[in-house]
Amino acid sequence: MKDVEDRLAHCFSAVFPELTDGEIRSATSETVRSWDSVAGVTLIAVVEEEFCVRLDSDDLSNLTSFQGFLSSLRKAEHDQDEAERGDERPSSLQA
Amino acid sequence: MKLLEALDIVKGMNGREGRALPAYLATGFTSLHLKTFLTAELSKLLPDRTIEVSEGLFGDLLGNLRRFSKSEFEFGAVFLEWCDLDSRLGIRSAARWNSSDLDDILATTQRRAQELQQQLNENSLKSPIALSLPTLPLVPFSYTPGWQASSFDLELHGIVRSMTSAVSHNTRIRVLNSQRIDIESPLKERFDVEGETLTGFPYRLPHASSLAFSVARLLQAPLPKKGLITDLDETLWKGTLGEDGVDGIRWDLEHKSQMHAFYQRFLGSLASAGVMVGVASKNDPALVNEAMNREDLAISQSSFYPIEAHWEPKSHSVTRIMEAWNVSDDSIVFVDDSPFELAEVKAAHPDVHCLQFPTGDPVGVYNLVQKLRDIFGKGTIFPEDAVRVESIRRRNLHRSMRSMSAPQDFIEDGDAELTCNFEKFPPDLRALELVNKTNQFNLNGRRYTESSWLKLVGESSAFLMIASYRDKFGPLGKIAVLGGSLQSGKLNISVWAMSCRAFSRRIEYKCLYELVKHFGAKQIAFDFQTTQRNGPIRDFLCGILGTAPSTECTVTREILQQRLESFLRLPEPVNERR
Repeated sequence: MKDVEDRLAHCFSAVFPELTDGEIRSATSETVRSWDSVAGVTLIAVVEEEFCVRLDSDDLSNLTSFQGFLSSLRKAEHDQDEAERGDERPSSLQA
Repeated sequence: MKLLEALDIVKGMNGREGRALPAYLATGFTSLHLKTFLTAELSKLLPDRTIEVSEGLFGDLLGNLRRFSKSEFEFGAVFLEWCDLDSRLGIRSAARWNSSDLDDILATTQRRAQELQQQLNENSLKSPIALSLPTLPLVPFSYTPGWQASSFDLELHGIVRSMTSAVSHNTRIRVLNSQRIDIESPLKERFDVEGETLTGFPYRLPHASSLAFSVARLLQAPLPKKGLITDLDETLWKGTLGEDGVDGIRWDLEHKSQMHAFYQRFLGSLASAGVMVGVASKNDPALVNEAMNREDLAISQSSFYPIEAHWEPKSHSVTRIMEAWNVSDDSIVFVDDSPFELAEVKAAHPDVHCLQFPTGDPVGVYNLVQKLRDIFGKGTIFPEDAVRVESIRRRNLHRSMRSMSAPQDFIEDGDAELTCNFEKFPPDLRALELVNKTNQFNLNGRRYTESSWLKLVGESSAFLMIASYRDKFGPLGKIAVLGGSLQSGKLNISVWAMSCRAFSRRIEYKCLYELVKHFGAKQIAFDFQTTQRNGPIRDFLCGILGTAPSTECTVTREILQQRLESFLRLPEPVNERR
């Protein structure tokens, strides 16, 4: 999961280049001034592409902080494990 | 390119100190990630510039073009989609669809296409444009099943084709090759329906990335390579000449060797477009000559120059060919079927682009030719391209026939004629090409976009001299460009590039002599910068300045003329006025 966190931090750093590494891990749409709708859409797109995951559009309200993204990715990883155990079509996280 | 990589490139670019390069991105949709990809691709192609891409308003492509036409940009990128021609052709529209409206949609599309055509032409007067035609599928509302093309669909495509055909004659509007996009980005993987409805961005990321990659190259084409050196056995033809004999080598369907003929024809197309094509082969030269004279060869023997056929290492052949062409090793591509030969050449010439010919693999050969097409492709062919190889051949033949103890004698013997043109307009794209592709005899290695070039020469104090050369062996065409400004009797030369075919003839002395004579300046300053490759012009300046050149080195007219005249015994040039 540390790897996931670092990769997520890289995504945040690309979208919000002004943030330090420490600031990234506590970033929220409330505290980061440049986190507007375009930045939000860009962040989701870059995370989805980087982690080969489709984030649930019903869950977008939670994607307003670094920790929120991390939780969504953990959930996606869990869903993928479940899907693989059930021999279903893999749906989300890939390393 | 992935979006994260593009964002990282844009982030890195923002720390640059390079000059800003303003470009516009005209779309009818939210440009979002397309802007990021395009900025990143342009940034890679122009590493010394800071790319600033302006966007327009949502849903108003035509209006965006009109607004952009009022500001200064170096490039414009235009991405057209069906809904820009009629909003009913997009999925965001709430308009009712009725089959009886099809004629009305066609009429609207026709009218909008004409308006776009007119506006594109107007915008192109200020900056070059890259145009991407609709890449997304049409909405499935027409009455035919998906596998049948309706007359409505076909007429829509016809309107776009007709508009494209009309604007493609404008050299400042470059149209994206839709076939290339079809290969790079399959149709069914382009449209992001969810993205279109949620954010107004209709492209999936890989499609946006593909479009940006190609459009950036339309705007700032990478410099094409100048020459290709090919092997013969198992490359130009199937078989080994020394073992199979002249009649035993093949390039036909019957012997499953047709792809060698395909390769030959491709080399012919390169040669006819001004690319130098040479041969490096370990073979008996007499046999090679005989084989090259076979009438069924799909390329004329005269397209090859020089032909190096012997048993020496191929790296030696490559060295001699580069000397004959007077080009550096990063300007050429070497093609051979043998990994050993490729490695040997690469070891001696690290900057040569070495490619393996995949003998016996038709798909591989086809892909190789496609790759070479990109490496050597260029937007325009100039008259100079048609005479390049022949002029090099004649020059080298003449050199070998006599000793060159005094270079100026060669000019005299050749009945040389230098024509100097000082007109700045209409813009001459050959001059820009020469400045951008010349490495060795280039005052400072500075490169220009079309727009920045026009801005430079458009200054009231700016001058431009384009020199053309011919001698008794024929024309070389436009071979030198000098530019800069004339202020208070001082001639500031900031642009000087000369074709590698010309400078060893000492034409450079005559060019400078004519420039100084024409303007009568009291002082001449050279905006010289050392580059990795411009040793020849540095040596030349050393000779006429009497010392190693520095940035902004200056010399008086008297001293300069004295030194130049000692080198020159040329006939008077023809001063051409257009």
